Amino acid sequence: MSTVTVATNPLIDAPAPPARRPRVLLLGAAFGAVAAALVVAAELAVYLQVRGQLAAAGDATFPEGVVLPLTPGSMGMLTLAMSLVTVSWAVYALQNDDRPHAYLAIGLTLLFGAAFINSTVYLYQQLAMGLTASAAGTLLYIVTGTHLVMVVVGMVFVSVMGFHALGGQLTGRDAEGMSAAALYWYITVAVYVVIWYGIYITK
Amino acid sequence: MTVTEDAPPVALASPEPTAPAPAPTGLAAVLGSGDHKVVGRLWIVAALAHLVLVAGASLYVSAMRLDTAGLADLTDSQSDWFSQIVTYRAIGGAFLVLLPLTIGLATVIVPLQVGASTVAFPRAAAAAAWAYLIGGGLVIGAYSIDGGPFGSGQDGVRLFVVAFILVLVAEVVAWICIMTTVITLRAPGMTLARTPLFSWSALVAGAVWLLTLPVLAAMLVITYVFVRYGGDDGTGIYSRISWAFGQPTVFAFGIPVLGFVATVVPVFSATRHHLNRYARTAITAFGALAIGGWALPGFVGASTPWLYELPWVAVSFLILLPVFALLGLWATTIRKGQVTLASPLLFGVASIVMLLVGLLAGAVQAIKPVETLVDGGGTPLYGTSWTTSVASYVFLSLAIALFGGITFWAPKLIGRRFQEGAARGVAVLLLLGTVLWSFPDLVSGLLGQGGDIPSPVADNRSTIEALNTASLAGGVLLALAALVFIGLVIRATRDGERPGDDPWQGHTLEWTTSSPPPAGNFASLPEVTSEAPLYDARHQETSA
Repeated sequence: MSTVTVATNPLIDAPAPPARRPRVLLLGAAFGAVAAALVVAAELAVYLQVRGQLAAAGDATFPEGVVLPLTPGSMGMLTLAMSLVTVSWAVYALQNDDRPHAYLAIGLTLLFGAAFINSTVYLYQQLAMGLTASAAGTLLYIVTGTHLVMVVVGMVFVSVMGFHALGGQLTGRDAEGMSAAALYWYITVAVYVVIWYGIYITK
Repeated sequence: MTVTEDAPPVALASPEPTAPAPAPTGLAAVLGSGDHKVVGRLWIVAALAHLVLVAGASLYVSAMRLDTAGLADLTDSQSDWFSQIVTYRAIGGAFLVLLPLTIGLATVIVPLQVGASTVAFPRAAAAAAWAYLIGGGLVIGAYSIDGGPFGSGQDGVRLFVVAFILVLVAEVVAWICIMTTVITLRAPGMTLARTPLFSWSALVAGAVWLLTLPVLAAMLVITYVFVRYGGDDGTGIYSRISWAFGQPTVFAFGIPVLGFVATVVPVFSATRHHLNRYARTAITAFGALAIGGWALPGFVGASTPWLYELPWVAVSFLILLPVFALLGLWATTIRKGQVTLASPLLFGVASIVMLLVGLLAGAVQAIKPVETLVDGGGTPLYGTSWTTSVASYVFLSLAIALFGGITFWAPKLIGRRFQEGAARGVAVLLLLGTVLWSFPDLVSGLLGQGGDIPSPVADNRSTIEALNTASLAGGVLLALAALVFIGLVIRATRDGERPGDDPWQGHTLEWTTSSPPPAGNFASLPEVTSEAPLYDARHQETSA
């Protein structure tokens, strides 16, 4: 007499997974980042308009002797590009409950953020231009300064989520907080791409 | 080895159970609350308080226009003060009264309509309300120390800019909370396509303001730096922000009007909204056309570089299409149902008619060949009091809709119902007042009267002054209506009729809970299988 073996899937009788939490923080962070990006975009539009009108009139954008250096701006771009990798790494590591790598990635993201601030301050020093030396100069400071604020807010957001991770509140099943911080960071970097092209490359 | 199977008894630290802490009452309940109903009411009460000041400023400006020749005799300081009052009327009316009232109503009603227990980010929503209160107070303070646009007190000018930025940030945060609520906290079964139309309009309005207010804030940041460090005297502030009350941005104030009318028409027709999904599309299209962040003033050169350009003209005309489509849908809804002309429907009809007139007038001023009728050749209509009148029609249509919304949702807002006859009277007064206030400005604009900041007129003086008198009479009617309405609210909170859970036979989820709703809003929710779950439930019971 032969016996028949029936293959069973143990997952069939497993309880249904809990309902997915609504991604409230992720959406809120996206809206907040869009609002901040629009502030910078509107300031940049005014800067480009003033620069275009000065060029049309045959005038220089900045006062005589002031040259807008390309290197610090490009270094800032490179730094933020690298931070995109680390912030994505932080999300990936947290989603896989790999805490040591998550902490390392968060730390590196903050380091890149600080390096970007440093490169912008260095740019200001190289410019050696007074805040009110010219309308375009003032607008340059306004655009880059507002973006610096955006970067600092992003660093605070990433830090807070880092502390949440340290406290065990972000896990592989629910790492939405870090995803939200990363989304804000992506938009901050995207804004800088526009600034880099609009201000430094097409100067 | 002994194995202890049962946990040893542990003596209770406190043998007597402690009673739960009593819920805070009075001021403490407001100060520390993140309940969306408390936060929304805070927005509404503060906005109504600002309304009294804005109404006073508007009446003053109208009274000054009675003698247009007298405007030429003002001293420099009198002229500056007059200009400050004019700017306060516009800025205060739009950003301290109408937008906050909309936010307040949406903060209370949207979570209830979508079946959520709270608004998203309740602490951020509360912080936004308090930031608005502080910012709004500082705006008044800035004006009182000779600040604001055209102010000569530099400290006051700077304070105005910072305070206005604070108000805008508060409004952006509040809209983010409302939009996130609609998208993420809907009840099970409520897809986006089943979202009630008022909540949908709040989502669309929030998106439009999210794309507009940061641009306005950017203009103010630039202005602040130039005023604070660049020696700018602040006279250019108004030209950098007045696009926010101009065409097409002003149309964004009309979005909640559509949402409110789309809510009350089916309720008071006792039937479903005809082709609900097309109404949703029309409201979205209206919102998309009302995005005005692109119509920025030139920082140098022409202040309105977009004027009479193709995009501006196209938007001015295209925005009529979704409104006509909605009017068709509402006419069909009314025809299919049985209409009860209750006060909310009266407010709704008045508001949509006024919005339509404003949009039509806006389209007319986008036709470049239509010029003023003055001796020696006309000038374009844009920039005359015709333009001011377009803004007035749109603003007042929103004011009527918001008063209607407060009347309709009073059971959920304050747990009471307004006196029906008095509410109807307010709706009629508001309609008459709006027509009398705004229509003369259309005509006087055609006759050459200046717009934003009134100035002496060269031609048609006596006719224009007669029209300005009629406009002032309309302003008095509007002020009277606003005062009666505030009186109605106060009276209802004291000894108003206590309604049941669903006094209007509503269609959406807010009417399933008690009036006023408890903390957490709902004990249980009905199954949501359409955009009108209560209408479904009522008709299932009837057919069963």
